[in-house]
Amino acid sequence: MESLAGGALKDLLQASGTFQPAVIEDIQAKAASGLYRIRGWGTLRERRWATFDDLTFLPCSLTRIPLEGYREKCSTKTVLGKRFARKPIELDIPVMITGMSWGALSYNAKVALARGARTAGSSNTTGDGGMLMAERENSRTLIYEVLPSRYGINIHHMRMADAIELTIGQGAKPGTGGLLLGSKVSDVIAKQRDLPVGVDQRSPARHPDFLGPDDMIIKVEELREATDWQVPIFIKMGASRVFDDVKLAAKAGADVIVVDGMEGGTGASPAILQEHTGIPTLAAVCEARAALEDIGLYGEVQLIIAGGIRDGVDAAKAIALGADAVYIGTAALIALNCNRPLYVEDYQQLGTEPHHCHHCHTGRCPVGITTQDPELMKRLDMDEGAERVANLLRAMTLEIQMLARACGKSDIHHLEPEDMAALSMEASAICGIPLAGTRKVFGR
Amino acid sequence: MAEITCGNRMTREINAEIRRAIAAGEREIVVNDPGARHNLGVAVLEPVRIRFAGSVGYYCAGLIDGPRIEIDESAGWGLAESMMSGEVVVHGSAGNGAAAAMRGGTVVIHGDAAARLGVSMKGGTVLVAGNCGYMAGFMGQKGRLVVCGDAGDAFADSLYETMCFVGGGIQGLGTDAVVEEPSQEDTAWLDATLAEYLPGTAQRGRDFKKVVAGRKLWNFDKREWKVWQEAL
Repeated sequence: MESLAGGALKDLLQASGTFQPAVIEDIQAKAASGLYRIRGWGTLRERRWATFDDLTFLPCSLTRIPLEGYREKCSTKTVLGKRFARKPIELDIPVMITGMSWGALSYNAKVALARGARTAGSSNTTGDGGMLMAERENSRTLIYEVLPSRYGINIHHMRMADAIELTIGQGAKPGTGGLLLGSKVSDVIAKQRDLPVGVDQRSPARHPDFLGPDDMIIKVEELREATDWQVPIFIKMGASRVFDDVKLAAKAGADVIVVDGMEGGTGASPAILQEHTGIPTLAAVCEARAALEDIGLYGEVQLIIAGGIRDGVDAAKAIALGADAVYIGTAALIALNCNRPLYVEDYQQLGTEPHHCHHCHTGRCPVGITTQDPELMKRLDMDEGAERVANLLRAMTLEIQMLARACGKSDIHHLEPEDMAALSMEASAICGIPLAGTRKVFGR
Repeated sequence: MAEITCGNRMTREINAEIRRAIAAGEREIVVNDPGARHNLGVAVLEPVRIRFAGSVGYYCAGLIDGPRIEIDESAGWGLAESMMSGEVVVHGSAGNGAAAAMRGGTVVIHGDAAARLGVSMKGGTVLVAGNCGYMAGFMGQKGRLVVCGDAGDAFADSLYETMCFVGGGIQGLGTDAVVEEPSQEDTAWLDATLAEYLPGTAQRGRDFKKVVAGRKLWNFDKREWKVWQEAL
């Protein structure tokens, strides 16, 4: 046996398919700590579920005429909040930066995201910690989140925003509140959130002043009164019972509904929630569109899809399935150098390696993004970071346009389900799109 | 003084008229016949005095910064939620989540408060002359919560630094809530607050119990897993 290579030797030793090494490590870690595992990022498991990769575009050939790349116009203008707001937001592109708190992220990261979004003609969003004034100053379009915790809630800041997002939940951990471990509750973050320094901050799961969808109707009216009906009201939810939840959010008077799928990221969360709660983003966008069509509000209420959007291809597929825009979070942080092989020894001190790091919860981010440590923060140059974020947003937009032109569309919002074929029976059943090579939609 | 009569008008029109009156320089406004409408007097940011001559619905005086708002009768859910400064006085009772997430100022409820009084409060003072329902003070971060009568179950659950005071009985303490002796500074503050807002009361600061965080939930400690098990 000594002569066998390592992999072959392991095969002969017959490791358990149930108690795999990661499972053994998990059990032993919990046996030592007495606490569930907490980490950042999003779901890490490789699983068989339908994703945007299970769809492919069907560009023009003889039945349709493509647009000439680089020459013929393909609009990316995106207008959100047309239902009730006097001032809908107008973006140059359909890729937006999602809410990530100042606290989970460093000051430098928040400012870099704001500048990057501004440069690319997009928007960014505050997060569970209130508005960082430097973020407002560096944003073109800033969305102000109203979360269950109400950390940093400030009517003056709310009135400085271009839209309000009433957050019910998030895709990484729907049905639970936020989490910010003590290592990141620095003096300045504690002051911003009115918390003791160093506390393991657990945010409430429910809003303090409403419970169900009927109360939420009144809450939405309050937010409109507070902002004089000027700016759009978004309602954001983690993807769970999307078909029903979207209808309730529309009934509550949302201008825009944000649905965040289970691939969505977070700064810190119990790992089991990231792996075992919510439904995938692909399924979420299909349910959300069906819900709006069911109540005759598709097109009147705009839909933003979030959760694991990686590139212009994912974004184009989400738009073709019914989204008006997409949020990115983790991808924007990767643009800022998240998981890049810099300061490798610091990754190793955290017990990880570049490309494998999900240690945002520790506050020891080697590249200065998810930290409140002033020395680590310096590693993120705000101007360089902003340029990378803007470049990513532009590149994603070009990718969306490329696919739209190939499908013969002069506006990326004209992409539609019939521009695609399914590559798996699951995706066919979920999206209502024929499986490639057939004319059959599975499940119908 | 400006006088506004609600009649059959919608909240939006009434609030707009309040804003117009303030913009015109009025500093005292009486709103007649509020009819328990929701969202009256939301986000008033000027140091004016507004009196609602009747009952109001949800979120009255929510998101305010600076005014004194008086309600002759009762208020619905979310009274003065997220207020930053000013005074809100309710002569009747208040529904769930009164003073939720308030950051500053003073809320006085002469009657009773329902469940989740002062939930997630971040500053200021909420004073209830009567009793309060369950989960008052839940996850309170800063500020002072005072209940002159009895407090319901799960009182002061999962506190951060809000100080809670109860003049009557407590049906049940919440997770990690600890009763401690009020300091001299506490009783002096209570005496001054009662004298200012409830001058007819016979209660004194020394009559109150003080409830604060036991701090066992502030940072996870496996020795305290039983506390966390109940909290989560």
